[in-house]
Amino acid sequence: MLREYRFAWWGMLAWFIVLEALLVGAILFWPSFEENIDALRDMAPMDSLKGMIDQLEVGGVIAYVNGQHFFKGCNTVGTLAAVVFAMNVVAGEAQRGTLEILLARPMSRRRVLTERWIAGALATIVPVFVSTHSIPWLMSYIDEDMAHWPLFLSAIHQSLLLLMLYALTFALSCAGSRPLVIGFGMLLFMLAEFSIYLVQTLTHWSLFRLTDIDAFAYIGATHSLEWTKVVPMAVAVVVLFELSQRLYARR
Amino acid sequence: MNASQHSSTLSAIHAKGVVRRFGDKVAVAGMDLDVGPGITGLLGPNGSGKSTFLRCLYGVTRPDAGEIVVGGARLVGDGVAVRLQAAYAPGEIALYGELRADEHLQWFLRGRESNAWQRALEYAQRLELPLRKRVRTYSHGMKRQLMLCAALAPQVPVRILDEPTEGLDPSKRGAVLQLLQEDAARGTAILLSSHHLGEVDRVCARLVFVQAGRIIANETAATVRERAARLVRLSFASTVAEDSVKQTLQSLGGATLSSMVVEDQLRVSAQVAGEPREWLARALALPALPAPTTIEHGRLSLAELYRELYGVEGC
Repeated sequence: MLREYRFAWWGMLAWFIVLEALLVGAILFWPSFEENIDALRDMAPMDSLKGMIDQLEVGGVIAYVNGQHFFKGCNTVGTLAAVVFAMNVVAGEAQRGTLEILLARPMSRRRVLTERWIAGALATIVPVFVSTHSIPWLMSYIDEDMAHWPLFLSAIHQSLLLLMLYALTFALSCAGSRPLVIGFGMLLFMLAEFSIYLVQTLTHWSLFRLTDIDAFAYIGATHSLEWTKVVPMAVAVVVLFELSQRLYARR
Repeated sequence: MNASQHSSTLSAIHAKGVVRRFGDKVAVAGMDLDVGPGITGLLGPNGSGKSTFLRCLYGVTRPDAGEIVVGGARLVGDGVAVRLQAAYAPGEIALYGELRADEHLQWFLRGRESNAWQRALEYAQRLELPLRKRVRTYSHGMKRQLMLCAALAPQVPVRILDEPTEGLDPSKRGAVLQLLQEDAARGTAILLSSHHLGEVDRVCARLVFVQAGRIIANETAATVRERAARLVRLSFASTVAEDSVKQTLQSLGGATLSSMVVEDQLRVSAQVAGEPREWLARALALPALPAPTTIEHGRLSLAELYRELYGVEGC
């Protein structure tokens, strides 16, 4: 296996295992959660968290699974995975001095970068689709059911957010030469975004508004994507990909 | 067809007015060079711009200005057309230590013709490289040889090698130079750089000397050796007046003089136009000339020659 893909392959496997483990735990915990929902609401320290529990109570098991899998699992671990897969791509090569041999092969820079972009992008989103696909099967263990189609649409929606974060980190990697600074910078940025999400007056400015329980509730209710959110995310991915190419071409 | 076009068509490497800046620093300040088949040495002290120029030729570093044609391919865009016509071994050794050497060779050769891999294995065998070992277990010299195997394997008309013998022991250096000579004998144009003239001069058909981002000399090796043979160097005690010695020797005519004080000694170098022994005999017969402490003729290395001719230290 080519070196470029080895890290993506093992990273993808690790990220899938973590995501699936979180999902299994969350689904098996549902009966207990449902039983103790009032106590949990009382324990929630912030109004925004109490509001979330209210949403889960209204939405039932589907809202709960969406919240646990997409809003919690994918948005936290997925963000980390997206940043880790992207931060080293070019900046890591520059730091270790191997950028010259990478550029010296008889292939166009665009092709080299596109291959790397795709490898990291697949490593970021494939676990989301695979683990999402396992939800109906896991739900059968708690005597619940969930349709595949809205879950598939939800996975697309979630993947676009992760791809957007991946593409942003990737672009920064194409411009920089210190991957750890890029990685920590991105994680701090995401932490700030999550903090904003929890503040009621600022929540609309948070990126996580794009993939919160409301977003997945819309997909579950309509069985279609919310284009006003999906299209800007897709456009951002394409723009950031092209920006990466331009930054890499200048090195 | 004008002269420039004609030259670029015939040359394996044609560079004209190549400029590369890094911020305020001008690394390559307008270099012109035409290289044909055979081995050409690009020589100069550290920091003279050799490596940057080679990177520009291969399209690894983008030149700020100038025209480059390598193996008939013009450097445009990201330079992939040039990289398909040439092979390159960088001067700085940074490899993926986690790969096995054979895996790394395969990685290097991605995008090359299929039988390049077989030739790389043959070169590695000749250089006795253990290909099943991880690259991180390789010494500096072994890594250098691995990169050379990758640069020599593709069937391309041009090879650009940055410091190919740096860090090699004398026997390996000899083996590498032998491989380069064999490759050049097949008609390949090889442009190699070195900051240590004595390492590579014996295989170079042409020597190009670089200083401060400019080419200051471009001569055939035979011409350089002939000039070296006509160089006479006289050293005097530091108490001797420099002007007086130079005036005395100038009265003889037939030589271009230069002088410098090195390690408390006055060194006067004479590039003699005619027969150097005859000139030396006449010089030593001059009554006004103080007795020299040493006389050197016919044994100056090329490095010393360049120092004498161009006043450049560091080769």
